[in-house]
Parts: sequence; C-alpha cells; structure tokens
Amino acid sequence: MTATEKTARSVIEFMDDPISFFGQSFTQMHSISRDELEAMQREAMGIRFQQHCESIEMLRKLADRLGITALNEFNDVTPLFFSHTAFKSYPGALVDKKRFDLMTKWLDKLTSYDLSDVDTTGCAGIDDWIDRLDEQTPLEVITSSGTTGTISILPKDKRGARDGMTLWKICLFQTFGKEPTEAELNPVVDVVWPNFANGKLGHLRIANMIKRGFTGGDESKFHALYPFAVDTDLMFLASKMRAAASRGELDRLEIDPVLAARKDEFIAMQARQAQDLDAFFTRMTEQLRGKRVFMTSAFHLMYDIAKAGLDRGVRNVFAPDSAILTGGGMKGVVLPDDFMEVIKDFLGVDRIQVGYGFSESSTFHWGCSEGRYHVAPWVIPFVLDPETSEPLPRTGVQTGRAAVYDILLRAHWGGVISGDEVTINWDLQCPCGQSSVAFEKDIMRYSEKRGIEDDRITCAATHEVHNEAVNFMKGVDL
Amino acid sequence: MIAYTVPLFLRGRVISDDLVPFDTRVGAAQFQAPDMSKYVERLPLKSPAEMSDLYDLSFDEILDVLEALGDALDFDTNTHLQEAYEASLVANVLPPAMTHNSYRILRPLFSRDNVYEIADSQVGLDYLNGWVSHTLRDGRELRVRAFGSRVLHIPAGNGGLVSAVTILRSVITRSDVIIKAPSNDPLTAVAIARTMVDLDPDHPLTKHLSVAYWKGGDLAVEEILYQPQHIEKIVAWGGLASVKHVTRYIQPGLELIALDPKRSATIIGHEAFDDEATMREVARRAATDIGVANQEGCANARVIYVLSGTDADGLAQANRLGELIYQELMSLPAVISTPPRYPNRELLDHLEASRMTEDFYRVIGGEQCEGAIVVSQFDEPVDYSPMLSGRVANIVPVDSIDKVTAAVNAYTQTIGIYPESLKRRLRDTLPLFGAQRLTSLGYACNVAIAAPQDAIEPIRRMCKWVVDEECDAGVVIPLWRLTPA
Repeated sequence: MTATEKTARSVIEFMDDPISFFGQSFTQMHSISRDELEAMQREAMGIRFQQHCESIEMLRKLADRLGITALNEFNDVTPLFFSHTAFKSYPGALVDKKRFDLMTKWLDKLTSYDLSDVDTTGCAGIDDWIDRLDEQTPLEVITSSGTTGTISILPKDKRGARDGMTLWKICLFQTFGKEPTEAELNPVVDVVWPNFANGKLGHLRIANMIKRGFTGGDESKFHALYPFAVDTDLMFLASKMRAAASRGELDRLEIDPVLAARKDEFIAMQARQAQDLDAFFTRMTEQLRGKRVFMTSAFHLMYDIAKAGLDRGVRNVFAPDSAILTGGGMKGVVLPDDFMEVIKDFLGVDRIQVGYGFSESSTFHWGCSEGRYHVAPWVIPFVLDPETSEPLPRTGVQTGRAAVYDILLRAHWGGVISGDEVTINWDLQCPCGQSSVAFEKDIMRYSEKRGIEDDRITCAATHEVHNEAVNFMKGVDL
Repeated sequence: MIAYTVPLFLRGRVISDDLVPFDTRVGAAQFQAPDMSKYVERLPLKSPAEMSDLYDLSFDEILDVLEALGDALDFDTNTHLQEAYEASLVANVLPPAMTHNSYRILRPLFSRDNVYEIADSQVGLDYLNGWVSHTLRDGRELRVRAFGSRVLHIPAGNGGLVSAVTILRSVITRSDVIIKAPSNDPLTAVAIARTMVDLDPDHPLTKHLSVAYWKGGDLAVEEILYQPQHIEKIVAWGGLASVKHVTRYIQPGLELIALDPKRSATIIGHEAFDDEATMREVARRAATDIGVANQEGCANARVIYVLSGTDADGLAQANRLGELIYQELMSLPAVISTPPRYPNRELLDHLEASRMTEDFYRVIGGEQCEGAIVVSQFDEPVDYSPMLSGRVANIVPVDSIDKVTAAVNAYTQTIGIYPESLKRRLRDTLPLFGAQRLTSLGYACNVAIAAPQDAIEPIRRMCKWVVDEECDAGVVIPLWRLTPA
C-alpha cells in the first residue's frame, strides 16, 4: 500500500466512521494535531460535497446556481450553508391538507436517501408520517418547533442516531487524558429523564436511544418525568396557534379532526402532571438514592428540580460518579448566580458536564475544565459576520455567528448556519490540554441579544407549549 | 458615542439638563435625553382650568398660527428641522433621500385649506367652535360641543409626518398635549415645537404642548403620568407590545385610542391580464404599494392576491406579473424607495429557503438584499408572511375571491384593489372580516389625513362631546309631574 492509498483510506474512515478512526477514545479525538486534522477535514469536506451534490437535490441546485463545483478550502463552503429555514421551507398548508405525499417529495430533495417509494397513503398526521418514514427508509427524522406556524423537519438517519448515542457515551463517561476502560465504553446506569418519555422533537427522540444505550438494555432503569410522548401534531397546532395569534387570526384556526378526537386524552395527560411530578420526585429520592445515574436536562429545569429537592430537605441524591449533562439557552430564564452550586448540592455529584450544539449537527461539543466547548474533530467550525455571513478570519479572537460544516452528516447536507453568537480564539492552545478548536463559554442567541421574539420554541419550553395547545383545545367546542 | 440630544420641551421651555443615555434602535449609537423621572411631575397641566385660554382663540387664529408654522417649517431654512433630519439618519432605518423628502410635506400639511378640510370633515367646525343645537322629538333643546382633552400621544416614528399630524390634531381640537417622542424619529416633534416658540413663545398653543422622551415601559414615568387626574386620553400608535403595555393604565377616566399594529393586503383582479399595457400599469401600481418608504409602513402591500387562477396558465400569468412587479420595484425613484439599509436577516433566510423550494415558490430577485417577489405556485401565502419587509412581497394566485376574504381579519388595515369594479364588488363584504380602508391599487401609502383612520375617527375620539340640554317644563314632560299609570 502506498502512502497516498493509506491516506485516502484513512480519510474515508475519518469521515464515515470517526468513532473507530479515533479508537472510541475521547482523548484521541481531541489530541490530533490541528494541521493533520485540517488537512483531513478539507479533503473529507470535498468528498462529501461531491457525494451530496449527487444525492441531495437542493444542494445540487444551490451549487449549480452559485457555480460551485468543488470545495478545496474551508471558506469555499460558506456560500452553501443552509439556514434553519431550509428545513421548514415546505408550505404549512401541506400538513393541514394531509398532503404527506408532497411532504415526502419535499423532504426527498433535502436528504441523500431516495424517498420516492415511500407510501404515505392514509397518513393521519405528522407523527404518523414520521413513523412511516421510520419504517420504510433509513431516516429517523427529528422535528423542532417554531412560532411561524410550521415546524422544522430534519432528515436525520438511524445510523447517525446510533453514532450519536455512542458519542454521548464517549464524551460523558471518559476523561480527557485517559484511554477508555471497558466500563466507560459500556456503562450501565439508571437514566433520570426529567422530561416527556418520548416524541419526535430532537431532544425527545434521543430518549429511546438512551433508554437502550445507557441501561444495558434494562428499560426499567429509564425514569421519565412524564410517561407519555409529546405529540408532534399537537406541537404543530401550538406553533400554528402562536402564528395565528400574532396575525389576529386565532378565530380562524381549525383543529384537525384526528387531533380533536384525542382532546380528552390530552386533557387527562395534563391533569396527571402534578401527580407525575410527585411520583418522579419520590422515585428519584428513594429508589435511586445513592445510585450512579445519567441525568440530562436544560439548565433551568435542572435548577427547578434541585431547588424543589433542597426545599424538601433532600440533598446529595446520587452517587458522586454519576454523569450529569446540561446546557441550553437562558432565554427568558433568570437563574441566580450560584445555580450550578444549587444543582450540584442537590445531585451530590463531582462534576456536571455541559454541551453546546444545535439540532442540525451530529453531536454536542463538550465543555472542558476551562469552560470552553471543544469542537468535535469531524466538525469544521466557522465564525461569520452576523450581517453579511462572510467568514471571519480563522486567526486571532473572532466573535460572530456560528456556522459549521459537519462531515459526519450523511443523511442531510452538513453545512448549517446557527442563530448563535459565538467567540473562537483560533490561536489558543486550551490549558485543558485538548488540541481542538473551541467555542468560548459565552454563547448567546442573536434573537435574545436583540431582544426580539425568537422563532423557536426551545426544548426548555416544550412543557409550557404542550399545555398551551391543550388549553386551547379545552376552550374550543370540538 | 452620543449622537444627539432629545431635549424636553415643556410648555414652551427647552430643557437639556439631567441628561441620561439611551440606545437607539439601529446600530450602536446612543442618544441622551433628560431623566424624566425628575421632570414627570411637571409634565401634566396643574389644573384643567388652565385650558380655558385655548377657548379664547378663534379658529381663524388657529388657522393663522398653523399656516405661519407651516411656512416656518421650510427645510432649507429651519435649523430645528435640519437637526431632526440628522438625528433621524442615525435613529431611523430610512435612507437620507426619503427622510429628507418626508420633511418637504410638512408645509402643505399645515396650509390653511388643508387644516380647514381636516377640522371640518373629521370633527365639524361648528362643534369645535361653539355649541351646536337642535331640538329633540321630546321638545328639549340639545346643544353639543366638542371640547379638547388632556391627551398623551405615543406616535409612531416611521417618518416625520406622524409627529406633525399629532400636533395638528391636538391644536385643532384645542387639546393640552404631551407627546412621547418616538425613538426612531426623536426630534421632529421637538423641532415643530421649537419652531412654534420661534413664532410666539407665549402663545396658548405653544404653552399647551410638551414633548419628552422616556423609554416605553419606564414605570418611574408612566405610573405617575398615566393617571386620570393628569390625562384623559392616550393615543397610542405602533407595535403590539407598545400598545399592549399602555393598556394596564386604562381605567375609568383614562381612555385608550389605539392605532395599533396593522397589516395590509392587495387584491388584483383577472382584468390585470387583459393586455400587456394593463399588466405593466398594474405592476407599476403594485410595486409602488410595496416599495414606498421601503415597506416600513402598515399600509404597504405585502401579500398580493391575484385572481389569475391556479392552473398552469394562471400560474404563468402570476409569475409574469411577479417579474414585471420586480422590474417596476427596481425602477422606483430613490425618494420613494431604495434597497433597505438594514435588511431582515431572518426574512432573507426564509427567502433563500423558498428559492430552493421550487415546487411551491418562485423567488424573483433578492440576491443582493434589494427586494424580491415570491410567487406562490399554489393558493397560499408564505408561512413567514408577517415578516415581509424591506421590499419583499408575496404574490398568491387564487381561483376565487373566497380565498382572499378568508385572509382578511381584524389586523387588516388597507386593501389596495384593482380594478375599481372589483373594489366596488368587495366593499360591502371585506369590512365584515376586518378591512378598514379600501383604495385604488397604487395609492395604499398615499394616505389622506382628512379621513377616518384604522376604522375609527381619532380626532373625534380625542374630543370630549359635551351636552347642554335646555328643557322647558312646559314642553318636555317633567318627571315630577308624572302620575302613576
């Protein structure tokens, strides 16, 4: 084998199976030299672009229009970035009219998989449609909810979900600087899930993976706050409600009869919530006391639970080596300065990990001991001018809009622009020892910064929005 | 950096002390204004009796004052206006040529004929200047007079016209007026007020005018000022949030006149496609409705329903009209319309997404943030239609008018319609859904002041309609003489 052949093969492994490429080691992922990594990233990006140009119609047409035929340098990709709007560009009316054949046709142009044979006959709603896609294609679509009357549909695939879960384990249970042990690679813990048990929203879809991936297959070790799923069609209604309210058209909003028929079921679920919360609390503080757990939730939910626990005189609930992951925006949430201490005090753990990412990407970028979010090696980060979207220099300290090209994404195009303001110090060698580029700690959504309404219902607001939709149904004669 | 100062204009006095900094809505610049928590108690009239001097004025004198004011509001010679213009360049999204132009229309606004027409048609001079009497069926003589009130105005800041109209309305109703200066047009009201001082610092009309800036929602000011003992009416223009937060102060004795957020629509009949010349004419008119003042106003066209039908021919016509409208939009003169200075990023992202979604949308232009036309390829507007701004409009082909009426609601202000025959056909039904003003295509932003606004009559509402009844016991049967039935 010549050296060129070897490099070629390793680039393919790097882009298609980075977990094996880095020997399932968090340390190796963040120890590779920048020059070596960047050379591979450039090559991999070029290859993936060619593949996706073949297989993703929307990318091909954009590239054709812009006259882009190859990607050689990092900045070559920036005109091809998709904004979050690309994943909700379908007309909302298609859902109302149950034209899931056309929805499939739309999605087909956003994914590398062939969806032309998907049968959507008789599809009752979004959840039903996504279930069909699950059954008939390699996709495992996730949704995210907004306020313009539509929801984003991200064509993720099953393979990516599996890889994603493995990556979570690698990042959560390994420590930088130490090669992984068998126990770290295959942890068996109780999972504390202060959220809805299931759903198609990005942060809920992962629940099923965690249920299988973290508990050694014992699903009784999965402890959700609410034992039911968030209904995507109900979330779609909530999104339409907010849009209708802003247009003064709430009186014109029609509720799909299929959803309306389930009104009583939704109301019953809502009525049970206080009871569910009590039961969850009891389980946490009695059954799970002193156990090693994995728990993940947004900052404010984590804080609310911790505060409630401390108020009840409960502290140091879990084993100190438990894995705790938190993150998410702080929009509309005011937490005291010492909120992390409150959470730690209640949970009784040694460390709380934080991650940064967005639903379009393949993984979270994990926070280091210095508080920076180190970028996963298969993700190429960019800092863009927030107004023009032109890339800022990859030197010195740069603040602007975060964008990434994510090589690992196979099912959809990996170039996405976020709504977040980030800072990267490109010249920094982080004192934590990781060689990778990192986002600085302070990350803010531009919408939050400008004090304007965000077109996004954050994962933190799922519960509130769910209730909003149910309350609306209660008030309408169905 | 402090770009400019918004002084407090307090009943003829200009105060620039106790300055505190504020952020502008656009960019990084700041401005300063007196800390109103220190002055708020001096804003309201001490006693309603002090309004009596307004009633010593004849309407002729009011017309004289306003005409002189109009003459003095000559942009080339009036330094107050020039200063207001400079501040607007920093505070407002409109480009210089357009802002400049908006000051040119002040003089004709205050002309004698114009003020007379507004006062007489929107209130009635008889009612403004005296008691109007007539005899009711029961024999009593009823005399009605429109009194001014103590009114607080929260005008919109898209162009200097709103501040000028606000002052005009207050003066003709003989009101005592406090204007909260809008942050995006910070100095026009002050400039007009200072010009009044230049003309006559002690005139009652000058003494019954105050202009101040505080940040909307500042409790230290609003909780003190927004009380029925200080003001009787609040005229609030603008966004949902700003109108909504005023509502908490509304109580018996303090009324809200809301000129709240509106959206407008456009309807184009199939006649537009009769021939090439007609289509061009329609395109020019539609482009004007979209483009005026860069689509910052509530009267601008945004979603344009076209009765072209949605079959292949209909879509081809709609697309062709879209091309023509785009061309006309691009050729509007710079005093009317330019590419937006601050395009909405989120909207542009949606636009690019629509461009990639060819099955449902055709996007014409927009690649240089210059404005764009999105033609829906089916009978629904884009889901982001409330965001349309900066010269981005959406053409929606429809098969029948029912689809359009369904889109008209309580938030719909102006509907520009082509041709007139279609407008006449629709004028008795569209108001049922919420439309407030129907106008010829091309005139959506050419708004008459001598007309009701937002389906109310704000000038009449600013007045207190007081009744004096004279009952002759020989004619009007007295209750004390009623015998049990």
